[in-house]
Amino acid sequence: MTLSKLKNSIAQIKLRNEPYLKINIILAGVILLIMAYSGIFSPEKDNYPVVCIHEKITGEPCVSCGLSHSFSLILRGRVDEAYQWNRYGMRVFLFFAGQLILRIIFSLLYSRYSSTRKQLILFDIVGSSVLFLVTFMPFLTYIFKFS
Amino acid sequence: MEEVKNNSGQNLGIAALITAILTFVLAVIPCVGLIAIIPGIVAIVLASVGLSQANRNDSPHGVAIAGLIIGIIAIMISFSQIFVAGKIARHADKWPKQIENIVNDVQDNVVKDLEDANVSIKVESNGDTIKIVTTPDKRNKEQTLEDLEKGNSSANDTVKVKK
Repeated sequence: MTLSKLKNSIAQIKLRNEPYLKINIILAGVILLIMAYSGIFSPEKDNYPVVCIHEKITGEPCVSCGLSHSFSLILRGRVDEAYQWNRYGMRVFLFFAGQLILRIIFSLLYSRYSSTRKQLILFDIVGSSVLFLVTFMPFLTYIFKFS
Repeated sequence: MEEVKNNSGQNLGIAALITAILTFVLAVIPCVGLIAIIPGIVAIVLASVGLSQANRNDSPHGVAIAGLIIGIIAIMISFSQIFVAGKIARHADKWPKQIENIVNDVQDNVVKDLEDANVSIKVESNGDTIKIVTTPDKRNKEQTLEDLEKGNSSANDTVKVKK
């Protein structure tokens, strides 16, 4: 009994040192911080600390302007208004929300099925990259249209 | 002791990879793309240090390499934002001039249309009607003006008075 407990605790310590799990936990934390940022700052007060540098330099609004407002409105359930602030807001919000769920699911799968870890990481990298490209394609197009 | 050294190299690699991923996400958002240069540099430094430590300790360095590659790509995208901003700013500088040109074009077109147009003015007062009709041709107008100056009444422009 004590031996199995010892084995379990050793396995847990080994799992804690896994870089993949550490990365997943930190990324999930960062996404939660983004959600908290959108929840704390309200569109009514318009007290967002991050301003668009692009607009400051060029004097023209960019494709990602209004993204913070859009996130806040989505969190408050006002989707129509969110679309008016930024039409890609919902897409980006869904990407972050999806990534948060994926981090949790992949971490659980990683710790549970040790035989398929490499495949899982590969699937995660490819899947997340594709999702990222699909989500941020309008922004990338905007950047490379001018450069 | 060796275990600790291995972990420190790997931890730096993890920090580099996370910073690089965040930099990458920031770099593709035009609003904050320029700021991403700072975490991008941090990611590259962390990855380089982590990589050198991992090499020294013969520990796995895949995470640090991934961090380095993603960090470099992210910083390149972030740098490209400077050119984007510069190009837009240059375009924005030209926009007032372009608007002025468009307004001038519109003005010229309106004047040209008025020159070519048949203008008919009808004034009615106390049962009297005065109708002025002008022909569109500019040369005719000049001829008319000359004729009027000479006192010649065979002008193209007509003045009709009805009672």
